[in-house]
Amino acid sequence: MQLFLEYLFDGISNGAIFAALALALVMVFRGTGTINFAQGEMALFTTYIAWGLTTKNVPVVLCLLIATAAGFVLGAVTERVLIRPIERRGLLATLIVLLGLFLALNSLDGILWGNQNYSMPSLFPNSVSSFVTVGGARLYWANLGLWILVAVLVGAMFQLFNHTRLGLHMRATASNRESASLSGIPVGRILLLGWGFAAAIGAVAGILLTPLTPDSLGVGEMFPILIQASAAALFGGLDSPGGAVSAGLLMGIVESLLSGYVPAIGGQLQEAIAFVAIVLVLLVRPQGLFGSKEVERV
Amino acid sequence: MTMSREPSRAPLPLLINQGSAVHRSLQIFGVALLAGLAILGSRTNSFQVGLLTEALIYASAIAGLNLVTGYTGMLSIGHSAFFGIGAYTTGILVSEQNWNPLWTFAISFLICFIFGLIVGLPALRIRGINLALVTLALAVAFPEIIDRFPGLTGGTLGLNVNLFQLLPPHWTGIGIQNRFEYYYWIAAFLLALVLVLCANLTRGRTGLAMRATRDREIAATAVGVNLAWIKLFTFGISAAVTGVAGSVFAMYLGSLSADSSFTLTLSITLITGLVIGGVATVVGPIIGGLAIIYIPHWTEGLRQGQTEGLFFGTILIILMFVMPDGLMGLLTRLSRHVVRVKPRAPEGTSRAREGLLAGQDRSATPDSEGKGDTTLALS
Repeated sequence: MQLFLEYLFDGISNGAIFAALALALVMVFRGTGTINFAQGEMALFTTYIAWGLTTKNVPVVLCLLIATAAGFVLGAVTERVLIRPIERRGLLATLIVLLGLFLALNSLDGILWGNQNYSMPSLFPNSVSSFVTVGGARLYWANLGLWILVAVLVGAMFQLFNHTRLGLHMRATASNRESASLSGIPVGRILLLGWGFAAAIGAVAGILLTPLTPDSLGVGEMFPILIQASAAALFGGLDSPGGAVSAGLLMGIVESLLSGYVPAIGGQLQEAIAFVAIVLVLLVRPQGLFGSKEVERV
Repeated sequence: MTMSREPSRAPLPLLINQGSAVHRSLQIFGVALLAGLAILGSRTNSFQVGLLTEALIYASAIAGLNLVTGYTGMLSIGHSAFFGIGAYTTGILVSEQNWNPLWTFAISFLICFIFGLIVGLPALRIRGINLALVTLALAVAFPEIIDRFPGLTGGTLGLNVNLFQLLPPHWTGIGIQNRFEYYYWIAAFLLALVLVLCANLTRGRTGLAMRATRDREIAATAVGVNLAWIKLFTFGISAAVTGVAGSVFAMYLGSLSADSSFTLTLSITLITGLVIGGVATVVGPIIGGLAIIYIPHWTEGLRQGQTEGLFFGTILIILMFVMPDGLMGLLTRLSRHVVRVKPRAPEGTSRAREGLLAGQDRSATPDSEGKGDTTLALS
């Protein structure tokens, strides 16, 4: 029981991160119709910024806010400068540009901050003894804080989607860009905000995730996370925020339990599992669990 | 532009009929030029021969990628994995089963073709974005899977092939100290074969179906293109071609390590090469292969991995904005002002066909048919 709970807690933490990044991917997909390959690298870049600030003795909360703002700007600028002009040339061109951005950002991280790994201080008490015992298992404050913060963030995003004017505009833009534009919605600004919010969510996710494991801030940190988040987004349905969040959470938990109880396939083969998951979802139910079927008009 | 092209006043562009003596001799000249350059390349010092060999190998890999990404318009980020599968097939067959390396190429082709079909299958559903996602996951998972089976692949330690099994056979007359020349010629012959294959494949019915799939899927279906079959077949062939390039790479390098040679970065580098050379052109991959080897080599400061990544990433973005057709696209556009190949009219419908072509000439967009014409003259 104790072991199970510990796997479960780990799984929920990972799952919350997958959920947050999957939500970011879905937001971009709904607006632009593309997977943002650079989503993980944007998150990593802002995490590095936050880490750099913590080494200058800036309080972690302030680092989080600054990095989130930086993430927002990064996402918005990417949309305005790179994506909008290239978009009309088609999906292939957009994907290639995003791939270029992915490689450039990742290499830039390496140039700016070197190839060694760093430990990141946590927002929450994060010493060996800062935990509560639940059913014999240790639940660290950092984990608990992560769950709460991600939950608040996701809740706020849903509130935004469903109960604000901006959210209405976003949904209208996602469902039909031309009609939205004709009804007077500033589609360009909506897309810009969507990309900005997505990158800001990624920034928060990166800053929450990194302190959980010592020495985990490195240039390769976000590759696997992005793949797993993409698998989750696909599983939940690329155009369904709710689906992406639940699939992300589910994926984190299943993966943690698998690698705990079935060491032969878990742990070392996480990316391979994500790959298999993607293939299976596409084979069996390509629109995902909660996604809507794509209908194309001729 | 349309103003200056009135036939009475403008001497340029020269019109050459497809299949005429002039056109044939131009084509022969082009092939002879490439062969001459290949011979010149083999006469350089062994370091240069090594670099050129790598460039030729990558050119073949890019030509494979070009089939699926350039002609059919589906982005594959997983070609590093197919390159790796080919390389490991050769590496394992040679070092474990004592195969002659040259025979392993056929097996690589077959295995990668099958893997391509398997990976391509889920991607057929609905959108091009799915293939990008599946192949991205494949590229990230590949090194992990290789490391997981150390018994077969050497795992993280890598796979070393005994040098003596990779030496040139006696009949070539190439000694052990010049063995890189042997790999060079293998890479060159493979590239020639691949280019002929790609040219024939993309010029005929299949090629038209591929382009139609890329440009407008629904319209393609409407005129009778079997979308699923074209996508799957293209992806299989594409993976197979890149896989054989990987086989030659294994011969050339002699030691394989998935974590350093066959990562996502390789996939992005191949895509960069493709974009630099020119998507959906026959000759583009040669330029692309040379570019991804020689640009980092010449710019000495870029040789540390990170800066090279930043450079290629930035180049990729800039190219998509300013020169999306790559160098071959640019050359083609320029050369169309000087020389134009007039396609042969198909039998029976010459009048209708000419009327159609005249209409196409005036259109401002560079359409794929036009590209194909000039590539004919250059290849």
